[in-house]
Amino acid sequence: MRVNPNPMPDLLAALNQTQLEEQQAELQISTGKSVNEPSDNPTAAALLVENNDRATFTSGYLQSIGAVQGQLSTASSTLSSITTALQQAISLGVEAGGGTLSASDQDGIANQLQSIQSQLVSLANTAYEGNYVFAGTKTSTAPYVVDAASPSGVDYVGNTDVNEVSIGNGYKIAANQPGSQLFSAPGNDVFLAIDNLIQAVQTNTGIGTAVNAVSAANSYLSTQTVFYGNATDQTQSQTTYLNAAQLQIAQQQNTLGGVDMAAAASNLTQAQTDSQAALAAIGKLSQNNLFDYLT
Amino acid sequence: MSGLFGTLSIALSGLSVSQQEMATTSNNVANASTPGYTREVTDIAAGDPVEVGSLSLGTGVVLEKIESLRDPMLQIQINQATQQNSSLNASLTQLQQIQTQFASSTSGIGADIGNFFNSLQQLSPDPTSLTLRQSVLTAADTLATDFNAAASSLQTQQSNLDQNVVQSVSQVNSLTSQIASVDQQIGNLQSTDQDPGTLVDTQNNLIQQLSALIDVQVIPSGQGITLATSNGTTLVSGSQSFALTTQSGSGGMQHVMAGTEDITSSLTGGSLAGLIQVRDQEIPSIGSSLDQLAAGLATNLNAANAMGTDLEDPPIQGGNIFTTPPVGGVGAAATMTVTMTDPSLIAASSDGTTGSNGNLANLSAVADTPLANGQTPIDSYSNLVAQVGSAASNTSADADSSNLILQQLNDEEGSVSGVSLNEEAANLIQYQTAYQSAAKVVSTINLMLLDAVNLGMDAAEE
Repeated sequence: MRVNPNPMPDLLAALNQTQLEEQQAELQISTGKSVNEPSDNPTAAALLVENNDRATFTSGYLQSIGAVQGQLSTASSTLSSITTALQQAISLGVEAGGGTLSASDQDGIANQLQSIQSQLVSLANTAYEGNYVFAGTKTSTAPYVVDAASPSGVDYVGNTDVNEVSIGNGYKIAANQPGSQLFSAPGNDVFLAIDNLIQAVQTNTGIGTAVNAVSAANSYLSTQTVFYGNATDQTQSQTTYLNAAQLQIAQQQNTLGGVDMAAAASNLTQAQTDSQAALAAIGKLSQNNLFDYLT
Repeated sequence: MSGLFGTLSIALSGLSVSQQEMATTSNNVANASTPGYTREVTDIAAGDPVEVGSLSLGTGVVLEKIESLRDPMLQIQINQATQQNSSLNASLTQLQQIQTQFASSTSGIGADIGNFFNSLQQLSPDPTSLTLRQSVLTAADTLATDFNAAASSLQTQQSNLDQNVVQSVSQVNSLTSQIASVDQQIGNLQSTDQDPGTLVDTQNNLIQQLSALIDVQVIPSGQGITLATSNGTTLVSGSQSFALTTQSGSGGMQHVMAGTEDITSSLTGGSLAGLIQVRDQEIPSIGSSLDQLAAGLATNLNAANAMGTDLEDPPIQGGNIFTTPPVGGVGAAATMTVTMTDPSLIAASSDGTTGSNGNLANLSAVADTPLANGQTPIDSYSNLVAQVGSAASNTSADADSSNLILQQLNDEEGSVSGVSLNEEAANLIQYQTAYQSAAKVVSTINLMLLDAVNLGMDAAEE
C-alpha cells in the first residue's frame, strides 16, 4: 500500500497533543488543582461549588459562636456578680434580723442594702458591645429604670423576646435571657425582694421573712444560670463538631479538586518525553529523499 | 513499412513522450506542497501497430492522457468530516471561553451567594451593628456586580459570535462564487476535450474550505457541479452561485437567509453551525439560568426583608434590598442592582424592636428556598457550572475524535493523491534513461542515414 508521502500534519497534530498534555500537567502542578476549569471534571466542579458553600457556612457558624459566646459569658459573669451581691444582702439581712444591733447600725445596714440595690440595677443593665444583654430584644435601651412608685423600686422596660442564633445547619440556640424572666419573675422578683428587705430593715419588722424572700429569689436565679452553662456546653461541642466538619470539607475539596502531585509530575515527564520524540521525528523528517542521491 | 525514417519517428515518439512525462514529474515536484494538489500520472501506451504482410510492426509510444489521481468517495467523506469537525471546534472555542467565568469555586457568583448568606449569619448575634449591616450590603453588591459581569460577558460573546456569523456568511458567498467561476472554466476545458485536472483540484480545495464553514453536499449532476446544504438550499449550480444573506431576526441576532427562507436553525455542519449553536442555544440557556437565579434571589430576599422591620426610630417595614427584577426574569442578571444604600434599612427585626434578629432567619431561609427551577440558589448555580463544564467537556471529546477521523481521512487521501518525492525522483531517472535511450536511437539512425547517403557517394567515387 502506498503511504501518505506527507506525514507532517500527523506529526504536528501529535506534537500539538503532547504540548497540550504538557501544559495540562504544568497547570495542575502550578495550581495544585486537578479541576482548573469546569470541563476538567464537570461533576467535581459543581461539587466544589457546594463544598465551598459549606466551607463558608461552617466558618461562618464558628464566627457566630464566637460572637454568641461573648454575649453569653458577659451575661453569665454578670449573673455571678448579682448572686454575690444577693448573698451579701442575705448576710446583711441576717445580721440586721439578729436583734442585737443598735438603731444606727440598722440604718447603716439599710444604707448598704440600698447601695446593693443600685448595684443590682446597674448589673441588670449590663451591656455587651452597646447592647443591653438582659433587655430581651429591646437591646438599645437599659431594661431597668428606677421608679420609687413601683413596688419593686424599678420598672422593667425591656421585652420578653429572645434572639436565636444559628450555630449549625438548622441548629439554633437562644443568645439571651430577658430580665423579665431572670430578675422580675413573679414570685421570685429580685428587686421586689431587695426593696422589701430594705423596708423591713428600716422598719425593723418582718426581716426574717424578707431575708427568706431574697434567698428564694437568689435560688431561683441560680437555677436560671443553668441556661448559660448549657449554652456554653452546646457552643463548645458544636465548635468541636464544626472544626471536624471543616477538616472533612477540606479533605473533600482536596479529593474533588486537588492534584495527585506524583501522578501529575509523572504525566509531565511523560508528556515531555512524547513531545521530544515528536520534535525529533519532525526534525528528522524528509531530510533525505531520493533526489539527494541523483547526481 | 518501416524504413529508417519510420524508425526515426518511433524514436521521436519516445523522446516526445519522455519529455511529457518529465514535464508531469516536474509539475508534481513543483506542487509537492501545494494545498489540495493531486499528483498527476502519465498514461502511456504503445502506438497502434502497422500490419505489413504477416508482420506487425510497432509505431512507437503515445501519451494517452495525464491523469490526476483522486478518490471522489474519499473527497466526500473528507468534506463531511470537515463540516462536523469545524462545527465542533467552533463551538468548543466558544464554550471554553464561556466556562472561564465559572471556573473558580472560591470566587464568583457561587462564592458570592455563600458570602452574602454568611454576612446575614454574622449579623444575627448582633443585629444592630451598622458595621455588620454594611457587610451585608457590601456582599449583596458584590453578588449583583458579579451577576452583571457574567451577564455582560455572555452578551459580549454573543454579539461577537453574531459578527462572526455575518463574516462567515460572506466567506461562504465568496467561496461559492469562486467555485462557480472555476466550474465555468472546467466546463470550457471539458467542451474542448482538455484535461481540467488542476482546476478540479482548485475546486475541490474550495469545496473543502466551504465545508469548514457550512454543511454542503456535492450533488452529482450531468453538467457542472451542484452544491446544496443538507436542508436543500442550493448554493452553487454549475457556473451560477446563490449568495446567502443575513438579516436581523429574533433576539436582535443576524439570521442566515437563502432568499426569503430562514435557514439559521437548519444548518448542521461547518463552523457556521457551531457558532450559531453557541449563539442561539448555549449562551441563551446559560443566560436564562443566570437570570432565573438572579431574579429568584432578588425577589425572595426582597420579600423576606418586607417581613421584618428595620433599625429606624420608629422601626418601619423593610423595603427592597435589590431593585425589583424584570417580569419573567429576562435580563435580571444584567440589571441586578442593590437599591438599598442605608444599612439600617435591613429589616432584621421580627418584633418591632431594633435588637431583634428574628427576621434574619427569614432572610437566611432564602438560601434553602427552592427557586422556580425547584433548586436552592447554590444548587442552581452548581448545576449551571456542571452544565457549562459538561457542554465544554463533551464537545471537546467529540472534537478530539472528529480531529482523529479527519486526520485519518487526510492520511488516506495523501496516500492516494499526495506527491511522493521519492517516486518522482525514481520516475525522473526512468524518464531520463528513456529519453537518453531514445536520443541514442536518433543519433544511431542519423549515423545509419549518413552511411546510407555515403553509400551512394562511395560507389560513385570508386
